[in-house]
Amino acid sequence: MSLILDMANISLNFHDKSILSNISLGVSAGEFFVIIGPNGAGKTSLLKILSGLQKAQQGSVTVKGKNITKYTRRNLSQILAIVPQHIEVGFPFTVADTVIMGRSPHLGILGMEGKEDFHIAEEAMNFTEVAHLADRKLFQLSGGELQRVIIARAICQQPEIILLDEPTTALDPSHQLKIMDLMERFRRQHSTTIIMVSHDLNLASMYGDRLMLLKEGRVVKTGDPKTVLNKSLLEESYGCQMMVDESPLGQVARVTPIPHKYQHI
Amino acid sequence: MFIHKPKTHIILTLVLSFMLQTGGILAGPVTDQVGRTLIVPENPTRVIALAPSITEVIYSLGQEKRLVGATQYSTHPPEAEALPRIGSYIRLDIEKIVALKPDLCLATKDGNPKHIVDKIVSLGIPVYVINPRNLQQIMDTITRLGTLLHAERAAVELVADMEERIEQVQALVKKARNKPRVFFQIDAEPLFSAGNNTFIHELIELAGGINIAAGEDSYPRYSWEDILVLQPEIVLISSMAGGLSPEYLIKSWKRWNQLSAVNNDQVYVVDAELFDRPTPRLLDGLELVAAIIHPELFEKNIKRTEN
Amino acid sequence: MPIGKKIIFTTLLLSIVLLLSSIIAMSAGSSGTHFWETLSILTGNSDPGSVTATIIWQIRLPRVILAAFVGGTLALGGLVFQALLRNPLAEPYILGISGGSAIGAILAMLIGLSYFPGVAIFSFAGSLLVLAFVTTLASTTLGNTMLGKDSLLLGGVMMNAFCAAVIMFLISMTRSFQVQHILYWLMGDLATIQKGQLSILFLLFPCFIIIFVLSRPMNLLLLGKETAAAMGINVKKIVLLLLVITSLMVSIIVSLSGLVGFVGLVIPHIFRLVLGPDHRILVPSCLLGGASYLILCDLLARILPSSGELPVGIITALIGAPLFIILLLRHRT
Repeated sequence: MSLILDMANISLNFHDKSILSNISLGVSAGEFFVIIGPNGAGKTSLLKILSGLQKAQQGSVTVKGKNITKYTRRNLSQILAIVPQHIEVGFPFTVADTVIMGRSPHLGILGMEGKEDFHIAEEAMNFTEVAHLADRKLFQLSGGELQRVIIARAICQQPEIILLDEPTTALDPSHQLKIMDLMERFRRQHSTTIIMVSHDLNLASMYGDRLMLLKEGRVVKTGDPKTVLNKSLLEESYGCQMMVDESPLGQVARVTPIPHKYQHI
Repeated sequence: MFIHKPKTHIILTLVLSFMLQTGGILAGPVTDQVGRTLIVPENPTRVIALAPSITEVIYSLGQEKRLVGATQYSTHPPEAEALPRIGSYIRLDIEKIVALKPDLCLATKDGNPKHIVDKIVSLGIPVYVINPRNLQQIMDTITRLGTLLHAERAAVELVADMEERIEQVQALVKKARNKPRVFFQIDAEPLFSAGNNTFIHELIELAGGINIAAGEDSYPRYSWEDILVLQPEIVLISSMAGGLSPEYLIKSWKRWNQLSAVNNDQVYVVDAELFDRPTPRLLDGLELVAAIIHPELFEKNIKRTEN
Repeated sequence: MPIGKKIIFTTLLLSIVLLLSSIIAMSAGSSGTHFWETLSILTGNSDPGSVTATIIWQIRLPRVILAAFVGGTLALGGLVFQALLRNPLAEPYILGISGGSAIGAILAMLIGLSYFPGVAIFSFAGSLLVLAFVTTLASTTLGNTMLGKDSLLLGGVMMNAFCAAVIMFLISMTRSFQVQHILYWLMGDLATIQKGQLSILFLLFPCFIIIFVLSRPMNLLLLGKETAAAMGINVKKIVLLLLVITSLMVSIIVSLSGLVGFVGLVIPHIFRLVLGPDHRILVPSCLLGGASYLILCDLLARILPSSGELPVGIITALIGAPLFIILLLRHRT
């Protein structure tokens, strides 16, 4: 299967401090790829490099066979969409305003949105179930609703790849599942590649096709969830005791960090 | 050579009287006091004075009937207050000026904004600019305005009167046995005085005193420290200094017992208008200063706190 | 209503408002109010040689034109800086333009130069110098090459404060009659208008057009540098272009009119409240709305006092400050 995104030997330094060393990563089209690792492992920086927002000192990133630096921002944004962790809600844009901004990469310089664009935005809002909030201002939304609005905006870009930075961290369980199911459904319908950074090992296990475990800027392991979610690898990377077993829901690994009071010996 | 041919004589007389009666005819080009050449009306009947001093001079020449407008502080003589106002002399109101339909504007280089003067000229209204920097030039200004406004005789008399008064002062001052050091305060908080190229300087020197503030800087600034070192013998304070009351101004001097001027009760507040306007009233100022500096020579009765 | 139609409708409406404001402003002044006479003069039905015609065409019209450009530019400048700095309290002088231009203007006045071109040139130069300093500072701090808004803001505020101290020093050295000229300039004053200035004003049109063309990117800039980049904007280029164009046009205006305040801060807020945050509507609205606003403020400056006239900056402050407080209170709730 062709690689839609290929990262080779990426190293990133910042003020003499090594953030990432020698990372190589190949993602196939339509894959659901999850990057996990402890805080400070460099996951967000990795995402920034994948999206072209940050330049690495060494190595290269290729998107659809072409070096990422050779893309104009506009062309790249027609292929790649980003769902960041936090967004600023300083100015009083409505949900509808925000979602339709996702059409920007496809509009001309003065960019008047046409019927087609409004249609796409409407579909995106229906898909993420925020259509009933169309006229609300952003600062009136809850965390989960806001996240879905941003995803709707990303969908409007009609991207081939969606990058998400810890999309579920501040959400309650039902909203977490909602977001993940949305991504899963979108991927199935449009064969979109999903690359996600996550703290939640179990969601990664249940949804990811392949995982990458990162620690201190280095790859510990890349592979399918069962391989990467290995007890000793996890304990070494996260520095706490873990229990890894098979989930009662099916053939997926289940990870449980063990609090001190449950530790024997 | 007189023309004895009666016919021509009659025709000339008719033409001349015709010209003199219709004010709209323009006389030939004249040169104003700043060297500009312009064409002025033969008989200006709608004159606007763009500075209080100009208004004063016109009244002194007896030509106030020609005036149709004046600046805000044209308060001397009191009759001038009835004239329509056209703004202040540093912020002229061009709309009001144009609305009065003047046939001649009289401006001063010192203070009138050039861009407004240029604008008036561009609208086809002649502007005659004066720029008297000393007594001699003031007399020249009076002569010029006399010619412009057909008051030559009044101008000659006025100038002669001024010259006579100056000569009188000079003659008396010659007999003086000393030359006191004078400090003339024009602004307060901080203190400012008047140096070279000011009327005040000229008047003090003419009156037989030494202007402590003499120097290249026309408006030098002083701190009280400087004053204590300079030790003026006579202190004259402009009534407009800092916009403060005369009592306050004198009090601020009385604090310094170390000053001979204070100890000898030689601190006076004087009427600002006699010292900063280029008009014949400067001679009132001259005589006042002379009487203060050399009381033994002048009979003028002066009060200690006011002019 | 689709955005295109909304823009056209708003622009037409505000253009009519501008026209009306101009006519009203031309029909009143220190020599009296002549509304119907003005209309007949403007439509060519009256004697063009009359005194009123001269007053209207030669004295009031240039003033109205200047007021329009000053108001429009300042409102637009405020809008752009609020977007660039993602800060609703930004105003067009915030990057040091007020400090730099004031020092230049005061120095020119102290050496006795005339308002135009002397003071104007010095003021423009002063503004550019301070701007160059602030932007250099902002682009070299923390190795940040994207002209981070916080460094810009900080640098600008610092320079304005420093310049304010220098200005105080310069004022303390001047005589009282000069101080009045300086104060009027600092407050913003359209009375010093001269013919040559009007031709310079037409240089501003390309600036307005470029900014309008960049309205959609400005919308995206509000989302943050990285999000904007992720949606296809070349952030560095756009920010630099907007910064340069807007600084230039505000500097030009300040060199002609002094520091008229509260227009760049209040007008964008009012229109944002009424029309929403889309810059494609806000750009023409602020331009036309700001122009009308200042024309009317200048009218008040000319006719309110019984003698003389106020500097227009006093009127904009007296109206603008309470207006801004009301806006702030509304925004809270």
